[in-house]
Amino acid sequence: MAHPLEPRVASYIAAKLPDASDVVVDSLERISGGASRETYRFRLTYREGGQDHARKLILRRDPPASLIDTERRVEFEAYRAFHGSSVPVPKMLWLEEADAALDHPFFIAEELSGFQAAPAMLFAGGYDAVLPKVAERKWTILGEIARADPVALGLDKWLETPAADGCWRRELDHWEHILDTDEAEPQPITRAAIRWLRANPPPPAQKICVVHGDYRTGNFLYDPTGEVRGVLDWEMAHLGDPLEDLGWGFNPVWQFGRGLAGGLARQDQAIATWERASGLVADPAALHWWMLFNCVKGQGIWVGSARTFIDGGNRDPIMVYSAWWLLNAQERAMLKVMGKL
Amino acid sequence: MTPQVPSVLIELAGLMLRSAEPGVPDGERANALRLSAGLLGMAAERWDSAADNLVRENRALAALLDDTAAEDDLRVSVLGAENARLRARLIEAQIAAEQAGDAARLDAIWAELVASTERRKISMAPV
Repeated sequence: MAHPLEPRVASYIAAKLPDASDVVVDSLERISGGASRETYRFRLTYREGGQDHARKLILRRDPPASLIDTERRVEFEAYRAFHGSSVPVPKMLWLEEADAALDHPFFIAEELSGFQAAPAMLFAGGYDAVLPKVAERKWTILGEIARADPVALGLDKWLETPAADGCWRRELDHWEHILDTDEAEPQPITRAAIRWLRANPPPPAQKICVVHGDYRTGNFLYDPTGEVRGVLDWEMAHLGDPLEDLGWGFNPVWQFGRGLAGGLARQDQAIATWERASGLVADPAALHWWMLFNCVKGQGIWVGSARTFIDGGNRDPIMVYSAWWLLNAQERAMLKVMGKL
Repeated sequence: MTPQVPSVLIELAGLMLRSAEPGVPDGERANALRLSAGLLGMAAERWDSAADNLVRENRALAALLDDTAAEDDLRVSVLGAENARLRARLIEAQIAAEQAGDAARLDAIWAELVASTERRKISMAPV
């Protein structure tokens, strides 16, 4: 039975390809995860210039309500800015910000097919021999994101440029506001962490960089040789302090119980790789601030996920999974970063 | 657990019924089953100890705050509401202790926060 979205997606794409005929969308199915966007893969076939074409594509559509409220265009432009660079990303095709075509905003991109993203598979044993390479590539690419010039990429047109000494306050204000709005129960550990962060601010950012915002194991595609083939999930991209991205990846919840940064490498090894690639320095005290901040940010996301389910904005059980799996774990992570556990 | 278990089980029941319909793509059906299995496993792990943990924690918080923990209704949702009341008071107490520089009081509060975090840990937690 055809998915009900197939003819609607085909109709949309046909309008975008005026010289094409026989435009068909099939094999459309939702990919697991995707709590902030509904993600589908599908096959597009059409005839153009006397030739038949077949393409594997991805549809990323807003859900009714999300655990992360972000602008579609930000994600789309971030992908587009890095396409063709040393930071591997899929090619963006069309962005639709109106609701008419598919009920909610969406974009369509080329699928990077044949690769894996799941941490569970990466750590199941079959990839053990290439984990050092995955680690080296992961933090090299993050360094290259930090080294990139946001103005040269054209991203300053879409993303606000903060002052170097204002990055931390803007981010902390943002996530504290989300906690204020969304928490379903008091969060004593998180509130204590916020008070410490405000009392002990980090130094100004050494430069204003593109911050991916969710750069962690699980948000990139890897192949059997350990090469990273695509960096995904740019919906929280913004301009800011490059240590924010480094600190998010060092959030203990992303160790996946393996006691290594991102489940992949010792933290000092990851930092050395990132410093080589970025040409920047990870000051230990500043990085510690950003690690604790990222524990607060994580809790803001998990609390927001629970709130979205509780309020009925999105009753998809995926909204519960992150809350049940990570609310307590994030508190444990916070206690560890604060030296309390 | 937040969101509360009964509301989640109702949604899972609906998801399972939808997944049993003919024509659901194999990948979507598999995803729904994996998600349901994970959530049911977490709910099962916490179910038996939920009320006991809340009672213990509420008593510990009440003792720390010179308060009394209400226990006339032992439904998990009611105990959870009482827990939220006491944890909100704990935040106020912690701020007061920080401002007063009361190290002993802060140590006692942190010890309870660590203990409550340990009580809530699930076996599949990544930390």
